[in-house]
Amino acid sequence: MKFKILISLILTLAATVFIFDACKKNEGSKPYAPSYLKFTVPAGWPQPPTDIFKDNPLTEEGFQLGRKLFYDGKLSKDGNFPCASCHQQFAAFSTYDHQFSHGFDNAFTFRNAPALFNLAWMKEMHWDGGVNHIEVQPLAPITNITEMVETIDNVLKKLVIDTAYTRMFTAAFGDNTINSQRMLKALSQFMGSIQSFNSKYDQVKRGTASFTVAEQNGYNIFKAKCNSCHAEPLFTDNSFRNNGLTLDAYLQDKGRMRITGNTADSLKFKVPSLRNIRYTPPYMHDGRLLSLQQAIEHYRTGIVVNQSTLDPLLKNRISMTNQEKVDLVEFLSSLSDNDLLQNTRFAQPN
Amino acid sequence: MRFSQKYCLFLLLILFLLSSCQKTINPGNSKGTVKLTFNNKVNGSPMALNTGIYTNPFGETYTITKFKYYISNVRLGLSGVPTIAAETESYHLIDQSVPGSLSFSFEADENSFITLSFLLGVDSTRNVSGAQTGALDPLNDMFWTWNSGYVMVKMEGTSPQSGQPGNVVQYHIGGFSGANNVLKYIGMVFPGGKTVNIKKGQTSEITLEADFNKWWQSPNDIKIAGLPVCTTPGAQAKMVADNYSKMFTITDIVNN
Repeated sequence: MKFKILISLILTLAATVFIFDACKKNEGSKPYAPSYLKFTVPAGWPQPPTDIFKDNPLTEEGFQLGRKLFYDGKLSKDGNFPCASCHQQFAAFSTYDHQFSHGFDNAFTFRNAPALFNLAWMKEMHWDGGVNHIEVQPLAPITNITEMVETIDNVLKKLVIDTAYTRMFTAAFGDNTINSQRMLKALSQFMGSIQSFNSKYDQVKRGTASFTVAEQNGYNIFKAKCNSCHAEPLFTDNSFRNNGLTLDAYLQDKGRMRITGNTADSLKFKVPSLRNIRYTPPYMHDGRLLSLQQAIEHYRTGIVVNQSTLDPLLKNRISMTNQEKVDLVEFLSSLSDNDLLQNTRFAQPN
Repeated sequence: MRFSQKYCLFLLLILFLLSSCQKTINPGNSKGTVKLTFNNKVNGSPMALNTGIYTNPFGETYTITKFKYYISNVRLGLSGVPTIAAETESYHLIDQSVPGSLSFSFEADENSFITLSFLLGVDSTRNVSGAQTGALDPLNDMFWTWNSGYVMVKMEGTSPQSGQPGNVVQYHIGGFSGANNVLKYIGMVFPGGKTVNIKKGQTSEITLEADFNKWWQSPNDIKIAGLPVCTTPGAQAKMVADNYSKMFTITDIVNN
């Protein structure tokens, strides 16, 4: 009798353990255990205005999925226009030497492709600030009729039948659901991780390098005449300003006003970072200034001052001697971060 | 005998453990269900997409090919008492072309409620919080990609009075902040002193009517000839929103 009860007890226990175990498991798949990554704010930098990874925990798997998506032509109508076609690593993720980038069916884009780095500090995307969160940014180029010209629905259909994506979405998010939210969050993990903080300027700030005389002179000029808008250490204050360019008669691009509908915002564009500026010609929202020399010359002599929305700081243009201009170019060149261009983590995956 | 007692205890323990591994237990279980149904109408007739030919108060004729709007932050309220029943994750896209989208249900605590309120549109928080899913998925074609934010109410159609190519009429009404905010909080007391009595395990049904004809008038005159297309946030979108915010009435309440 005792023996029978003991047997029953053991059997019941075994059955319980089995059932209990089965109820924990997720249909035989491997447990979800991503490798969490830490986003590092460089020493001396401000915290990002919002934590872009708060609702999108940064993981190696999410980053790698985002990287694959960034370089994948499937996100475009005909397969030829991945994000990376306009955001080239060798140009600090801008389009090198192109006033406008090329989209589907020989189209020109509406504006000059901005460089992509330190996006975690950027509150608004686009030259006009129309996009309010990094996660929804990719929706614009994917669907734009001059860029990737695809629908989100079609992109997802292409991803769902690709077993590599089934595997990578599962690794990144715990199951094989492929939807727009996950795609966008993965892209955000990749784009938001592209950081640039190892230029010569940064090394000088950290005490591991020193400026040449010309660079130091240029830095002094920068601090006196440029940094009220191109504020260190990001080299932008992320504000929208009219810097005295004329309205292009063909493009009719009024910048920030296109978003706010407010005439006071006419011809205002986002102040771009000056980091990696040597890698990102041509310059301005429509790429109309081909060289760094031309860009500086615009501020010295080219600003059209009779505009109602012209930034008050520019109403007298920016005076500068020829020597100062040369030195300023030297300083701006010290903002080049070769690590950004060479970092294989940001390169096209194999 | 002592052993069988122990065995029973053991079995109870196992049952307890097993039940704790079930995730979907109704806590408290004093909740009932409330079901909301939206009937879209034009001048009192059920809205017929594509086929219905309607006339607005200015004598302009039009058809409707699309009519979609967001209902969010749905709440039931009591008189003078702060207690309310609020739906969690309350975002619904009412789409006239998808019959299943015209009603939805949620759980509410047992009580006799006298008011219904909801937001016509998507609250500003969700307009600035990155990639969303479900009713807020950009796949639903209600999200502006170049000027982040949701289209709160979308109507498309045709009218001979539209000077646009193909005589199209297109209103994508959105804007969630500052002067361009078109969000409308709709609050209604149940008519005729009726109450919605939520009872455990039962479903109360609230039927609403949305009269599209309110779009054109009061307080703002919207003439198709003058505004056949409005697809950006701004003063014109606000004028349309001021009108359509008056389109809802509660037509029926059934307590089961």
